[in-house]
Amino acid sequence: MDRLITFERITIEPPLKAIYRRLGYRKGLTQIRPDEARTLGDGIEQARALITLKGAARRLLILSKDTRQIRLPGGHTLESAQLAALLADSREVILLGATAGPAVIEAIRRDTAENNLTRAVVFDATASEMVDAALDWMETFFGRELRREGRQLTKSRFSCGYGDLALENQKLFHELLELGRLGVELTERCILVPEKSVTAVAGIETIG
Amino acid sequence: MAKGQRKFLDLLNKRPLVLDGATGTELQKRGMPPGVCPELWCIENPGVIAGVHGDYARAGSDAVYTCTFGANRIKLDQYGAHDARSVNHRLAVIAREAVRGKALVLGDIGPTGRFIRPFGEFDFEEAVSVFKEQVEGLLEGGVDGFVIETMMDIQEARAALIAVKETCRLFTMVTMTFERDGRTLNGTDPLAALVTLQALGADAVGCNCSTGPDDMARFIGAMRPYAKVPLVAKPNAGLPRSAGGVTVYDMDSAEFALRAGDLVGAGAAILGGCCGTTPGHLRALRKAVSRKRPPAPSRKALAALSSARRALVFDPGRPLAVIGEGINPTGKKALQEELREGKTALVRQMARDQEAAGADLLDVNVGVPGIDQEKTMHDVVLTLAVATELPLVIDSAKPEPIERALRVYPGRALINSISGEKEKLERLLPVAAKYGAMFILLPLTDRGIPETAEKRAAVVRTVEREARRHGFTREDFLVDGIVMTAASNPNAPRETLRTVRWAAETLGARTVVGLSNVSFGMPERRWINASFLAMASASGLTAAIANPASEELMFVKKAADVLGGRDRDAAGWIALCAKSGGAGKRAPAAALPPEQKLREAILEGNREAVGGLIAEALKAGIDPAALAQEFMIPAIVEVGERFGRKEYFLPQLIASGETMKIGMEALEPLLKAASKEAAGRGTILVATVKGDIHDIGKNIVALMLRNYGYRVVDLGKDVASERIVREIGRHRPDAVGLSALMTTTMTRMKEVIEMARRQGQSCPFLVGGAVVTQAYADSIGASYARDGVEAVRVVERLIR
Repeated sequence: MDRLITFERITIEPPLKAIYRRLGYRKGLTQIRPDEARTLGDGIEQARALITLKGAARRLLILSKDTRQIRLPGGHTLESAQLAALLADSREVILLGATAGPAVIEAIRRDTAENNLTRAVVFDATASEMVDAALDWMETFFGRELRREGRQLTKSRFSCGYGDLALENQKLFHELLELGRLGVELTERCILVPEKSVTAVAGIETIG
Repeated sequence: MAKGQRKFLDLLNKRPLVLDGATGTELQKRGMPPGVCPELWCIENPGVIAGVHGDYARAGSDAVYTCTFGANRIKLDQYGAHDARSVNHRLAVIAREAVRGKALVLGDIGPTGRFIRPFGEFDFEEAVSVFKEQVEGLLEGGVDGFVIETMMDIQEARAALIAVKETCRLFTMVTMTFERDGRTLNGTDPLAALVTLQALGADAVGCNCSTGPDDMARFIGAMRPYAKVPLVAKPNAGLPRSAGGVTVYDMDSAEFALRAGDLVGAGAAILGGCCGTTPGHLRALRKAVSRKRPPAPSRKALAALSSARRALVFDPGRPLAVIGEGINPTGKKALQEELREGKTALVRQMARDQEAAGADLLDVNVGVPGIDQEKTMHDVVLTLAVATELPLVIDSAKPEPIERALRVYPGRALINSISGEKEKLERLLPVAAKYGAMFILLPLTDRGIPETAEKRAAVVRTVEREARRHGFTREDFLVDGIVMTAASNPNAPRETLRTVRWAAETLGARTVVGLSNVSFGMPERRWINASFLAMASASGLTAAIANPASEELMFVKKAADVLGGRDRDAAGWIALCAKSGGAGKRAPAAALPPEQKLREAILEGNREAVGGLIAEALKAGIDPAALAQEFMIPAIVEVGERFGRKEYFLPQLIASGETMKIGMEALEPLLKAASKEAAGRGTILVATVKGDIHDIGKNIVALMLRNYGYRVVDLGKDVASERIVREIGRHRPDAVGLSALMTTTMTRMKEVIEMARRQGQSCPFLVGGAVVTQAYADSIGASYARDGVEAVRVVERLIR
């Protein structure tokens, strides 16, 4: 079961609703002219052309757990009461990682330097939402496989730096998912570079 | 036709073929515990799986699937089983014995769970070998045919189909699983899947799992007009929903039979059930369809190409297709160099540029002397398969790179080209037939290029005759008109056009020309190319290999589409015009005075207009300071208020902010008095703290502050605490803004403030960022702002 699966190219449509929402659009309140909508659509398309979504996943047995920590093979431990609660009915976990690649980050930097912050924020929002959607995509993929085993993923997933799961755990995720092979590095402060890169963990439960 | 195929087609002539229903859920009901390997469990409990098969056969299934969905060595390895061949053999025997000749047995092949190159790391040839092992075991077990099912990756479906076709000639169905949005998880739409798989030799194509019968009718409906083979639908018993942590399907057998029966009307000739269906569902389905006539495939042949994501059909009345000619190293030193070094960045960029410029297909030529063209073509094609949605045209003078590319390309490609030359015919026709590729028929022979249209027509007839022996039809090739240079032979363009007209009107074939050659050696070639394209379009041209970046060419092409009745409602023309001229901002209302127009420009974020409007207002005698104070600053304040009321969202706020910035920069030299005013408003120092590289929020805050007349010193991102404090001492700011996105870097804010206080700095601090809260700001003695607009308000309050 302990096998790394990499996805060299995750092909998804930009999640437009989520991108609009991230940019502050509120249905019924925000008013957008047709030329603004067209410019925004163009920006999202340009971002999409710059984004290369890649992913990695690893399914691991939970060796043991209590209310505060989860012990994984290889002597690895995740300390988090909230994660332990999420994984209460899980005997396995799946670690997930995804990146939007470096090109869109470079374009955001360039646009910001060249006084085109409007497009930079559109690129930023598109990349953020697409990399998040890539994790959803991987969850759907594994969910489909698990259903045939009579198993399912937990309803939510957990990321390092949220709740009581310390960001320092990012080192473990980076190592186990071999994110370096996807071009993702980890800074001393446990930040993934390129910026639009994310990791998460979800539990695997028996249906019923 | 092979005997194995005849059995199925004979049945299909009489009525819709009924498959079986779900296996997994039936096994679970009959005692299979969760988490076990179903295949190994069935070998240990043969009576249970035999019971499932037998029940489906008795319910009226014409064919049952062996319980080998996950019996490939990748999946079996996970359960410690290593002999995939014998597992498949055994399960096929159990199925055959269970149905006792009352139903046919299809060897079931499911996904490996790994993604194949170019979508994953799994090697294509290794995948073929994994599937071959399964195919051989199933064949030994005596299956009547194969089903490759629940595929979400078209490349994996191709690998499995190639494995079957290279092993035997039995009837083989392929069903993909589409999400409700009409694409597989990997992005393939139903038409692209159909075009690719039927060309590659699938005897039936369709969909299973994921959705209920209603959604599936849409997918089958999308395939039906283009299907050369029977269509398959194997839906779930409705959409899955979670009830108390358990996945359930709501559709009972009567409703399922009614809805699934309707799939025959949508075009499905082969039906069954997937998750949630039972022998009861299938009994009802069999009854519902037994008197229906099975829909026949709509086409005997289809001129269409596909990539992994979309298809392009060359039907009459469709717009002329542009084949982007850019990826060809002839005369391009940078591309030659890149291909020599095995790099693909430039190739990807060229693909993106041509796609954005409006190309419908991309020609790929890697003909650099001295390189391994076979390997290079393989690598470039895999790169492009994910870099572009456009189908590819594999262009090589040598057969080997073409064959290598066709094997791994996850779509139906076009070969450029097969001529009447003996070697080309002998080597490439079988390859094209094996992989189902279309080809450009180049009417030249070993003796050279015939000069007249009549002589070229004779070559076309000869090549076509040979191609028919390999199963090709007239829909499977495009006749090349052969473009020669007008500068050296004034009659050449006329003969090309005559060849195109003959092929289109007399032969009834699709046609293509390599456009650019016509203008070789001439000045202003773009006009000659565009004119020739219009003439060829009028002669019946289907596609042109050309440069889509040429605006003249693309306008003429679109105009020719309109005038030739190939652009319904002129939609393509209107879209092109809107794209080239309509993306700019609205022109400010002419009736307004210039200062009001300037206000409107800021409200609308019209960056292009603001410079001219300032000049206009100044020319009208408006005082620069009044322009700033009475019109521009109130406008940006109004923008902030609209943002606060959610009437504006972030792109509008920033577009207005950037417009304001351009305006203020233009006005600044004139604002002598106002510059004192600006300095008087205060200096704000901003930075993203050490360890944090996320700075877009800080940049927005800086922009907004500048627009409100503050002098902003922006230290950038990942700035050490010591440096921030040092710069505070140097600039003596009225306030300091710090941003951080992560919990780990947020702590640096406290460090900076404490360090500043220790050094006697009393300036107020403002903090913000995704994880920063009011409570945290309070705890470190700072103020907090949620966004750029609020930051301005907080700064104004702090300084006051």
